[in-house]
This record gives sequence, C-alpha cells and structure tokens, in this order.
Amino acid sequence: MRSFLALLGKEVRALFQSPIAYTAIAVFLLLMGYSFTLTLFVNKYATLVHIFFQSAGLLLLIVPIITMRLFAEERKAGTLELLLTAPVRESHVVLAKYVASMAVVLTMIGLTGTYAIVLGLYGSPEWGPIYSGYLGLVLLASMLVSLGLMISALTANQVVAAIVTIGVSFMLWTIDTLAAMMPDALERILISLSLLARFTPFATGALYTSDFGFFVCSTLLALFLAVRALARR
Amino acid sequence: MSAPVIVADKLTKYYGARLAVDEVSFEVRPNEVMGLLGPNGSGKSTILRILAGYLRPTSGSARIAGFDVVGQGLEARGQLGYVPEDVPLYAQMRVNEFLDFMGRIRGLSNASLPAAIGEVVERLSLGQVRSVLIAKLSRGYRQRVAIAQALLGKPKLLVLDEPTNGLDPRQIIEVRELIRTLSRDLSILVTSHILAEIERVAHRAAILLDGRLLSVHTLGTAGDGSRVRVRLRGADQAAVRASLQGVPGVSLVESLSPHGTYILESAAGAAPAVRALVQAGLAVEEVGSSGSGLEELFLRLTEGAPR
Repeated sequence: MRSFLALLGKEVRALFQSPIAYTAIAVFLLLMGYSFTLTLFVNKYATLVHIFFQSAGLLLLIVPIITMRLFAEERKAGTLELLLTAPVRESHVVLAKYVASMAVVLTMIGLTGTYAIVLGLYGSPEWGPIYSGYLGLVLLASMLVSLGLMISALTANQVVAAIVTIGVSFMLWTIDTLAAMMPDALERILISLSLLARFTPFATGALYTSDFGFFVCSTLLALFLAVRALARR
Repeated sequence: MSAPVIVADKLTKYYGARLAVDEVSFEVRPNEVMGLLGPNGSGKSTILRILAGYLRPTSGSARIAGFDVVGQGLEARGQLGYVPEDVPLYAQMRVNEFLDFMGRIRGLSNASLPAAIGEVVERLSLGQVRSVLIAKLSRGYRQRVAIAQALLGKPKLLVLDEPTNGLDPRQIIEVRELIRTLSRDLSILVTSHILAEIERVAHRAAILLDGRLLSVHTLGTAGDGSRVRVRLRGADQAAVRASLQGVPGVSLVESLSPHGTYILESAAGAAPAVRALVQAGLAVEEVGSSGSGLEELFLRLTEGAPR
C-alpha cells in the first residue's frame, strides 16, 4: 500500500505540475461554459442534456492528451526500467496512473457542476437526468482513461499513443452507424459496443445496469490489458 | 561458506529469432565484485535486465538471495539495487524528492526514510545538490543519484550497467573507489566493455561473447609483478626463447601477436628479462606489467570474433 501511495503521489504531482492538466481543464470549461450560457440565456432551456453530449465529445479528444504521456514518456526516458525493477507490482503502477488521470478528469467534470447549481438557483430542473448524466460522464471518462493508458503502455511515442487513442475512441463512439450494414448477429454486437448508444440513456435520464456494467467491465478490461502490456517480456 | 547472492543457471534469452544470451551460468558470492566483460552486443545488459526483473529469460533460471527472479519477482527485486546503463531518472524531480519516492517504492517507512536518505546522500556526497532539479545535474552527479537510489533499503546486491560510461577521468576514479568501498557491505555485479575497468574493480570477471559465457577468471593475481609484457620489434618466438635460455627465473609464457608482443614469467620483475633480451640484440620497444592476465585471456577467447 505504501508503494502504491508513493506511485500515486508521483503521478498526481507530475500531472498537476505540468501545464497539461490546467490547459485541459481550462479549455474544457471555456467551451462548456460558452455552450451552457448560450443554451440557458438564448434558448431558455433549464437542462444539461446538451452539455453532457458535448462534454462526452470533448472527453474523446482531451482524455487521450492527458493519458498519452503516462507510459510512453516513461518508456522513452527509460524510467519505466527503473520503476519495474523496483519491488512494486505492475498493477500498482497502472492503478496509480489511472487514479491520477481520473483526478484530473473528475476535476474537469466536477467544475461543470456549477452549471447545475446555476440551474437549481434560477430554475427548477429535473434532477434525475442531471445525476444520471454526471454518472454517465464519469463512467465514460473512466473507460476512456483506461483505454488511453493501455495504448500508452504499448508505445514509446506519445503522439502515436494520442492519435491511436483518439482513433479508437471515435471508432467506438460511432461504431453503431456501421451496424445497419452488417448481418443481424454482428449488428447487435456493434450496437452493444457503441459508446454513444451506451452513453445516451445516462444523458437522458435512463439508467440500465447493462450500460453501467459495460463501462465498468471495459474499464477493468483495459486496465488488465495495460498491466499485461507492462508484463516482463 | 555463505550462500551465493546470485545463482544464474543456464540463462537463455531470445529476442524474436535472435539469440542474445546462450545458457549462461554463474554465481556471485557475498561481498564479491563480479565483472561482466564483453564487447558491445555480447549480452551483458540483457543478463542484468533479467536479474533485475525487467526481462524474462526464455529459459533457464536465476535466483537473487535465494528468490527466483520470475516466480518470486517482487521478493527478488527487493534484494537488489539496479542502475541501468543510461542512468534514467525523473528529470522534473529534485534529488531529495526522487530519493524519497524511490525509498517509498522500495518499502521504506516514514520513520526510516529520512535516515536512509541521509545515509546515501552522505555516502555519495550529494549534500550540495539535494534540492537541485535532476534535469540540471551533471552526468557525474546523475550517476551518483542513480547509485544512491539503488542503495536505499540496504539491498544485498548492487547491479551496475556500464557505470563509468560518459564520465570524466576524475569521476571514473570516484566510481571505482565507490565500488571498492561498497563491496565491503554488499555484492556487486558490474558490466563494462572496457577491460581495464573490470580489472581494477572486480574480484572475478566473466567474459562474454555473442551471448555465451566463455570463461570466469579470478583477478586475485592482479599486479603481483611476476608476469611481464614486452613488445619487441621483429623478433620471432625462437629468438626470444633462445635469448632467455639460461636466465634464472625467467621464461617465455606465450606470444600474443605475430609482430612481437610476448608474455614472460619473471619472478624478480622485468629487469633480468629485459637485460637478457637487450643483450641478445633484440629491439625492446615497450615493457609493462601483464597485470592479472585478463587482457591476454580476453584476446585469446575472443580471437576470430567479428569486430
């Protein structure tokens, strides 16, 4: 446990000492604030549904930027060798990076909570979809972070890690559009893999255990694969 | 006799189809400095990486202080401190912060950490740079910081991969001195492609070529002065042998090269041998101590190897 906390501390410091975390949070909040203001004051809708979808879209772009350096940088600098020859478990190394990245992403998502507070103060929004929307965002972010981590563990090049993560994330987000062209059996599989199809119920206030389970299981699978990618070869 | 700190048994490593380490077996005893000597690409770093737990052997096994490096990897890694060749460090950390982090992941408690860091800082003379960013350190200081982190937690074995690479002569001497001092407390496995380095610091040297262990040589006879190396101009072996005939205590051991470098055994030092050679009219160009015989052995073992 002691070594895990040391690893976590190092990761959190590395993320928050670099401008990456602050830039990501600032750009995310700027764009979301613009969108929220526009919807509330121009269209007069006391809802966050559009914010949830736009946040999800931005997460597909921003999370890979946060996760790209996690292992790729250590591999390139050679510090991964230092880390993996110390008496620590690979799973602790992966989990520390996952938790630290989630801290950045949760800060980002958490700060958009001010929009919900504004809605609560000046309107009477339905709280159910707001809670489920935030839950959906957190689950989606968790899945994207673990995917980014896994891909970063496979390469020594940060840019490659970012591009591949963005590509895979977008493909999974929109994969249901391909479904109609596929045979029935494959169609069902593609729809079940679609991040958009899994996220939409959360954003609109419907909670299904299957969607919840999908995000949790895919996060665990990607983290497991990241540990395997680090395994001594 | 106490148990060996390293037992490597038929370690073999393939990178794809390329054989990098071929059934290498050796042991390192407590407080022994063992040198792995070989040209670049001979498998030295791969062996160290297997022992340090970074790579898995394709076959064979290795134990560190009794722990198998694969089956009991965590325990085995807890017994050793490892300094990779290019001294990778977290450049954005300060020396103190880095040692604190490495100490914690090596399992040191909050209570024992300050004393442990203080000890390695003093031992490696890092006091002046404790609060300096690692990115701003010279190569020599980086090397010292890397060795300092490896010593945290008092490992039984220190593994150094080419520790004198990129250092200036003064720093090289310091590292040598450090290895000698450290060997009082722990075993050290050190690699180098520079023969003189191994000869100066190690008790035994394992010679590697193309992933194979050719020989393990004891360096205990270093510098006893009985073996003399002479370079003669245009003298063949028969002439040298004839000139030394009848000189008490001097004999020809071997010819190292066809152009006239010979190893002589001379109990009373170089003088009687050189006198006899000069009196026989041979042109002596260079005379030196043959040291431990490692150089000759290395040349003989690696003769014919591609360069």
